[in-house]
Amino acid sequence: MSKHDEARRAFLIGAAVGAGAVAGAGLVPEAVAQTHEQHQAKDSPATTAQSHAQGSGHGAFLNDDDAATVAAFAERLMPGAPGKPGAREAGVLNYIDLALSGAYEDLQDFYRRGLASLDTHCRKTYNAPFVKLDAARQDEVIMALEQNKATEFTWPSAPAFFNTMRTHTMEGLFADPIYGGNKDFAGWRLVGFPGAHPAFAPADMQSKEAFAGGALIGLQAQAPTRRT
Amino acid sequence: MATEKTDVVIVGVGAAGGILAAELGKAGMKVIGLERGPRLATKDFSPQDELRYFQRQDLRPDPKRQPITWRPNANGRANPIPTQSYGNQAGGGTVHYGAVSWRFHEDDFRVRSQTIERYGVSAIPADSSVTDWPLSYAELEPYYDRAEYELGVSGKAGNLQGRKIEDGNVFEAPRRRDYPLPPLQVDQVGANFDAAAKKLGYHPFSTPRAILSQPYNGRPACSYCGFCQGFGCHIGAKSSILVTKLPDADATGNFKLITGAMCYRVNSDNSGRVTGVSYYGPDGSADNTIEAEIVIVAPFIYDAVRLMLLSKTEKFSNGLANSSGQLGKHIMSHLSVRAFAAFDDRHVNIYMGPSAQKHTIDDFNADNFDHSGLGFIRGAQISAGPPGIEGGPIAATMTMNPPPGVPRWGEKYRDFLAKYYTRHMAMTAQTENLPYADQMIDLDPNVRDKFGLPAPRMTYDWRRPNEVARVEFVHRKLEELGQAMGATQVWRAPPSPGSPISHHQGGTRMGSDPTTSVVNRYGQSWDIPNLFIIGSSTFPTSAGFNPTLTIQALAYMTADAIVTRYKKNPGALL
Repeated sequence: MSKHDEARRAFLIGAAVGAGAVAGAGLVPEAVAQTHEQHQAKDSPATTAQSHAQGSGHGAFLNDDDAATVAAFAERLMPGAPGKPGAREAGVLNYIDLALSGAYEDLQDFYRRGLASLDTHCRKTYNAPFVKLDAARQDEVIMALEQNKATEFTWPSAPAFFNTMRTHTMEGLFADPIYGGNKDFAGWRLVGFPGAHPAFAPADMQSKEAFAGGALIGLQAQAPTRRT
Repeated sequence: MATEKTDVVIVGVGAAGGILAAELGKAGMKVIGLERGPRLATKDFSPQDELRYFQRQDLRPDPKRQPITWRPNANGRANPIPTQSYGNQAGGGTVHYGAVSWRFHEDDFRVRSQTIERYGVSAIPADSSVTDWPLSYAELEPYYDRAEYELGVSGKAGNLQGRKIEDGNVFEAPRRRDYPLPPLQVDQVGANFDAAAKKLGYHPFSTPRAILSQPYNGRPACSYCGFCQGFGCHIGAKSSILVTKLPDADATGNFKLITGAMCYRVNSDNSGRVTGVSYYGPDGSADNTIEAEIVIVAPFIYDAVRLMLLSKTEKFSNGLANSSGQLGKHIMSHLSVRAFAAFDDRHVNIYMGPSAQKHTIDDFNADNFDHSGLGFIRGAQISAGPPGIEGGPIAATMTMNPPPGVPRWGEKYRDFLAKYYTRHMAMTAQTENLPYADQMIDLDPNVRDKFGLPAPRMTYDWRRPNEVARVEFVHRKLEELGQAMGATQVWRAPPSPGSPISHHQGGTRMGSDPTTSVVNRYGQSWDIPNLFIIGSSTFPTSAGFNPTLTIQALAYMTADAIVTRYKKNPGALL
């Protein structure tokens, strides 16, 4: 029995309301589960997200340059710090890459064109692509997009591209890991969301303290370690 | 060409259609229900998948394939609205709703008379089409009672046959008996809200919800997982039509549901009657027809209005049921006014407990308070819950603007979320919207849906003086509540840019005069007695309360009238 199977079994047994939760967990096709990777040791072979981040190997949609730009942009929107997982650690790039090859297929051109306009803006303003800028400069660029001051954008508009990047970054951080982001529940650990608990007891709801009622639970698996 | 014959065809099997299907089937009538979406089951609902259900709106219509367009006024093109908050499957909106189940107040049924009696006719905005309903609360009360007991609603009576009861809603209209189930358990959102409201002298209580606080009719009690609004209940504790009336309808042996069936025309003849409906099948085929003695139109308001307009003939050149010219007019939508509170000294754990409008004060709703000198009439239901009406972190990032001084991204935003995600809550004033004749739905000349039908187009802007003044008044009440909780920070959400929010009502308004209304109190067309339109499209005014239980009570009342009177003597019920 693999580690994944153990975790899945633990979840199914632990699911307090039985049939409903089990059926829900079973809904997710095994094929798309990224929890396999999730429970591997930190130094194990690269996942799609890691491939992109390291600039080696294609993902499902984005080319290497675009992948690097998306990863860097997302990281500025939700930056990581010690003890505070950010977009890169959560695998937001992997989430966006998979979404663009599936559920958000209709946004492929939106991304292509938006990233091209971003590149033009950065080269014109700073004579360098987005990924080569330091963090402060990258923030200036993002602010220019948000405030519609980057004139190189046509369609999508700069604010539309910014808003979509923000939305997809949040999705990649906080959606269940089955969608390819929120790696090792990074987003949920950041904010203290315990995940897909199928039930809470009256005592949990009466508490004014942080919930300490058990492990983080995803649709397919529990986190490998208890939340601290 | 598929043609079927039946006694009754129901277009849209949701809050109203499901009840009618079961009740007419029980009376021995052969019923066919048409539903454009699928029929799902409890086992289909993956619990707490926020991306799928909240963010990607899995249980709602796809705005790209079934667009609804909006413009603030009659000048210019309308654009598709990005999210639609109604249902797209058997059970309709009751599958994903927050299950908040109100009876309207007595004065909600007589807004015009009540306003004139208390403040004079000048208090009514001149351009508003505020009117009385053609029925009273007392006449609907037996059907409210039936809906609460047959579906399963949890709450505590605040007015039992005139006797006021603390911890219930002391402003509610008198009820014959208590709720069938006790109130749901309180969570920290409710506890904080109640304490603050009591401190301020208001009357908080647990919001009545069609969610089981105890096992009922073979279904389990709520497990407090926290994902109601936007989600199908993964244990069947939410009393949606899917787990209540559809099984009832099945059990009659007289009900047949056709899923994937999009009705595009109600057929009529030159005798002035409707003869049935035509629909697109799941394979896209257009030549499917049902012939029926009675046609009941019960989708959300957009499709109710659109279907009447699409069904025009030489005889009914203005659209079906529209001799009054009122079809599509007087559209209302609840205005959502919100403020947020964040705490340093306590956790709220927003993701626990039933998610929608958890606890309420009714002190500033309807005509429950004196409006003299305030510059507006009517009010809002004020409640507490998560900002996105469900408590997951995606909803928090999408529906809550951070407090002043914190941007929407970057280190500061990350730190705000990291500290306050489990220590914040929202207060919402679900604000009544007066009817105005020029707030309307018609057919969009530029945008078509996936079937090639013109999209419903909404022309609507809530920012009228009465509404703006009321929004500011209730916004201050929300801030006052947040301060009374002892929150570290209290801040507002920006108001919407005039666009409609949720709980749309009107478009086929009921009345007592055939020249100024589309249907009578039974939802029966004044023009075509074998055509019924049931749903919030018939509401003449909107109330500050969620509409579903009133839709359901009206459906029971119509079912009763059809079974006991119309069936024996088909014709006008009034």
